[in-house]
Amino acid sequence: MKNFTYYRPKTAEQAVALLDDKWGTAELLAGGTDLLDLQKEYIAQPDKVISLSGIERLAGVGVGHITGRDDAAGKEADKNTWIIGARTTLAFLAEEPNLRQHFPALTTAAGDIGGPQIRNMGTLGGNLCQRNRCWYFRDEHTHCLLKGGDKCFAIDGENRYHAIFTQGHQCVIVNPSTLAPALIALDASAEVLGPKGKRTIKLADFFHAPGSAREREHVLAANEMVLSVTLHAKGLKNASYEVRHKQSYDWPLVQAAVAFKYEDKKARDVRIVLGHVAPTPHIAVAAAKAIEGKEVTEATASAAGEAATEGAMPLSQNAYKVKLIAVAVKRALLTAAGQKKYWEV
Amino acid sequence: MATSWPKKRRLIGAKVQRLDGPAKATGKAKYSYDINRKGMLHAVLLRCPYAHAKIKSLDTAAAEKMSGVKAIHPIKKVGEELFWAGEEILGLAADTEEHALDAVRAVKIEYEVLPHLVKEEDALKNDPQTVSPVGGKRNNVLAAKEAASQGFEKGMADAAVTVEGSYGVPTICHQCLESHGLVAEWNANGELTVWASTQAVTATAAILAGHFRIPANKVKCITHYMGGGFGSKFGPDIQGIVAAELARKANAPVKLMLDRASEITAGGCRPSAYGKVKIGATKDGKVTAYEVDCYGTPGVGLSDTVTFNALPYVYPFEHKRKHVRIRTNTQLQRAMRAPNHPQNCALTEFILDDLAAKLEMDPMQLRLKNLPQNDPNAMQNAPHSLPALRHTIYTREIEIAAALSKWKEKWHPPGKTPGIIKHGIGMALHTWTGQAVPQRNECTVIISADGSVTARTSSQDLGTGQRTVTALVTAEILGLEPEQITLQFGESPNGASSGSGGSTTVPSQAPATLRAATAARDDLFAKIAPKLSAKAEDLVIERGKVVDRASGKSWDWKKACAALGEEKAQATGFWTAAESNKPENKDVSSSGVGGVQIAEVLVDTETGVVRCTQIVAVQDCGMVVNRLTCESQVAGGVIMGLNYALFEERIMDRVTGRQVNPDMEFYKLGGIEDMPKILVYLHDMPERGVIGVGEPPVISTHAAIGNAIFNALGVRVPHTPFTPERVLAALAAKGGGQ
Repeated sequence: MKNFTYYRPKTAEQAVALLDDKWGTAELLAGGTDLLDLQKEYIAQPDKVISLSGIERLAGVGVGHITGRDDAAGKEADKNTWIIGARTTLAFLAEEPNLRQHFPALTTAAGDIGGPQIRNMGTLGGNLCQRNRCWYFRDEHTHCLLKGGDKCFAIDGENRYHAIFTQGHQCVIVNPSTLAPALIALDASAEVLGPKGKRTIKLADFFHAPGSAREREHVLAANEMVLSVTLHAKGLKNASYEVRHKQSYDWPLVQAAVAFKYEDKKARDVRIVLGHVAPTPHIAVAAAKAIEGKEVTEATASAAGEAATEGAMPLSQNAYKVKLIAVAVKRALLTAAGQKKYWEV
Repeated sequence: MATSWPKKRRLIGAKVQRLDGPAKATGKAKYSYDINRKGMLHAVLLRCPYAHAKIKSLDTAAAEKMSGVKAIHPIKKVGEELFWAGEEILGLAADTEEHALDAVRAVKIEYEVLPHLVKEEDALKNDPQTVSPVGGKRNNVLAAKEAASQGFEKGMADAAVTVEGSYGVPTICHQCLESHGLVAEWNANGELTVWASTQAVTATAAILAGHFRIPANKVKCITHYMGGGFGSKFGPDIQGIVAAELARKANAPVKLMLDRASEITAGGCRPSAYGKVKIGATKDGKVTAYEVDCYGTPGVGLSDTVTFNALPYVYPFEHKRKHVRIRTNTQLQRAMRAPNHPQNCALTEFILDDLAAKLEMDPMQLRLKNLPQNDPNAMQNAPHSLPALRHTIYTREIEIAAALSKWKEKWHPPGKTPGIIKHGIGMALHTWTGQAVPQRNECTVIISADGSVTARTSSQDLGTGQRTVTALVTAEILGLEPEQITLQFGESPNGASSGSGGSTTVPSQAPATLRAATAARDDLFAKIAPKLSAKAEDLVIERGKVVDRASGKSWDWKKACAALGEEKAQATGFWTAAESNKPENKDVSSSGVGGVQIAEVLVDTETGVVRCTQIVAVQDCGMVVNRLTCESQVAGGVIMGLNYALFEERIMDRVTGRQVNPDMEFYKLGGIEDMPKILVYLHDMPERGVIGVGEPPVISTHAAIGNAIFNALGVRVPHTPFTPERVLAALAAKGGGQ
């Protein structure tokens, strides 16, 4: 492991000031569940490691007094606005009862990640910004596109866990964040700090399909960091469902997160987002459209699931994931609508 | 003198908690990985990143200058050819592991990259254009082994019904929790001590002594605790020898334990087996003939990947068999827990259920109809042997397993249950030997005047509970409790022992302990009798005391031992296969077990996800010594077999020639939530003597699960692991599934 300088700034501004304007030389350390592996495996070799553990305000969940307005509308908005610090652990997200009440898609997704050790260390910001899990990328001896090589080995290689929405992508990783589909479905946004100050990015716009060593799996600049994620409780029905090979400690084969208004048994403003199927979380527009305005039943959920497969272009070994997204979408919709979980016996 | 087990047994056969449990649970137990010596260096190996290459140049100058580097030991030279990704090139020791890892990357090495083949289907073509140069003749497909029984042709011709299928199991990796490796330390007298993670303490010492051409008594191997070997750790291996070489060069202790990726790519694997199978039977389910044509890869090695002479497995069908070894640029196969039996089991047990389905029979009835008969010769000459008892044992075990699993209530014709989540139940049989080994195994029991008792052996406890078995047997003979026995285990100077492979340790060591404890007791009696005014032959042991049968007097254990004065009572017992075979020692240890497993699954036919909900494992192993650790062995075998069924697979990349999943992330092993309820039933037959049980319970789990999936779906998923992808593919081939 290359020697590095370890920093432990007290404020986010100090942390950002330590970052460089290109990737690779400085890395932020939160839970360390990803960075430590990357360093030990000689994939990441930063000169600077900047720990976020000294920055108190990055951890925890805040509700209320967000807008600073005293009128009734302001108070109502405050009450329903949730700001979650980037350093909040996955375990906290999974277990926080108020979050669970409003955002079961998020808390379920958080609780499904890794195992207890990972969830106790892993953080919200880290989950959004982690590197992908492609086994070619993670192999020190395989010089793939994302490490400055000239080819993606997965396209013609071992790709059972890779992307099925592959259009226009030179690199067919799947985005590894399990929180992202839930957050996008819930219309969350991230507050980001850079050298020029703060900006807000919708989670739907947060991710990026990388194609070179100069890019990451998200749109942040190398000298930006996530401060928090904001969610609004709007009484949406929401859920996340993942299909996984192992029940303990495994990545999802596919994941579907859904959120919608459900009044008079009609689903409105439906958002359906798929995880682990494309280099970025995949917003399934056709699936949402298929169930928009309809009652959620096995039949309509099934049709939405089928619609979610629209545009899938699987690789040589992963066509099975196309079938799985149809099932995941159906089950997420039924779960969100409070229908019987026929798959649990 | 004849050896026999006590007729009345207080501890043998009871449930005794493993004595080292608390030490292991608290971390007090020091594994080889935990050994840290003063001034110790850390070593790593430079491995070839290519599946096939020649070393064009090798320059260690820059590496030698790296921070903390103390020694380099070459393994391969310029011009040498390397045949698999992971093959060792040199070892390097530095003051810290991080420095060693950095320095090994500073070795300048140029390779001539050569063509490779890592997938069986590619190597099977044996195309002269793409032939992979493994070995001298540069031939990937080795000459087939073929054999047939005399009645095969007639049997197939007589068949009223035939079924054909293709089945297979991939190469899987050992994945020892404690990786391979050791800590090596030389002293000023040129004596070598190693703390090795090994299944063979004495052999490891002997191999090192041979390598360094030093007397055997100058090498000491210590293995107090061991984190799993499963057949892959029978010597120092190349990393152990290199660690000792580096320690000598650097004049400092060296630790060299494999990292996880090396453990998986170079620490051993169970080879693959894929076969076309055909079976013929009468209408009422009597199998008339069985034919198998199979292949598998031993990697760069030459071994079979099935047990050729045991195909078909368990059942004595008229048969025709063919096996082809396909060499690939992958690591050499090693023995893994019941080597090659699980492959045989899959190639036999899957098609039996497919046949039963075609005959519209309950597959349990089909098996009962086709069990091997008890061998009349064996019944006469060796009435407690497996051949003499096999029909009796399997029939009884099937009855027990059927009752425990409620087979009659739960079994249904394949694929005939409604709904998305389908229940299935399936079974499979297995067999193993598990006898005492030819090599001498010793145990020494020492009784001191303060009443303390030591049992000493060089034999190792791999985590199987061997330590507790030794204590239990000693305590049984001396009327003590197992916790009262001090155990000195896993040190090569402690006498002769053999490697723990083939389920041989209990049948080799327990009789040696029995003899040692009995002789030490007699030595005690001889030494204390005069002081107690008794005759030695009148003294007997009762629980916690020594009794004089003539006078009726008794002394508690400590008091009796105090009469030893400055002496000790001591004896060494030994056991070998030859001792076991002597008529006067009959039924002390034996060989040959059968076992039955019944698995239940729930298959989600929309996602293809299989959850195994219950396994019933019925196992005989002769006389059960420690019921608790014996049950644990069976449960552990079942867990390993479940992983084989559902999760494990070495995935090789055709282009890079490298394994893409040398980790615990995508080389999948089940966790707690993936575990079924495991019901273990030990079919105790004390009259048969001790038989090893380490391996048999792993053999048939995957086959039982595969058959349970078949029962759930009515369609065969032909290859393990039974992943969602494969289940969905099988359902799609059937035409939709639900």
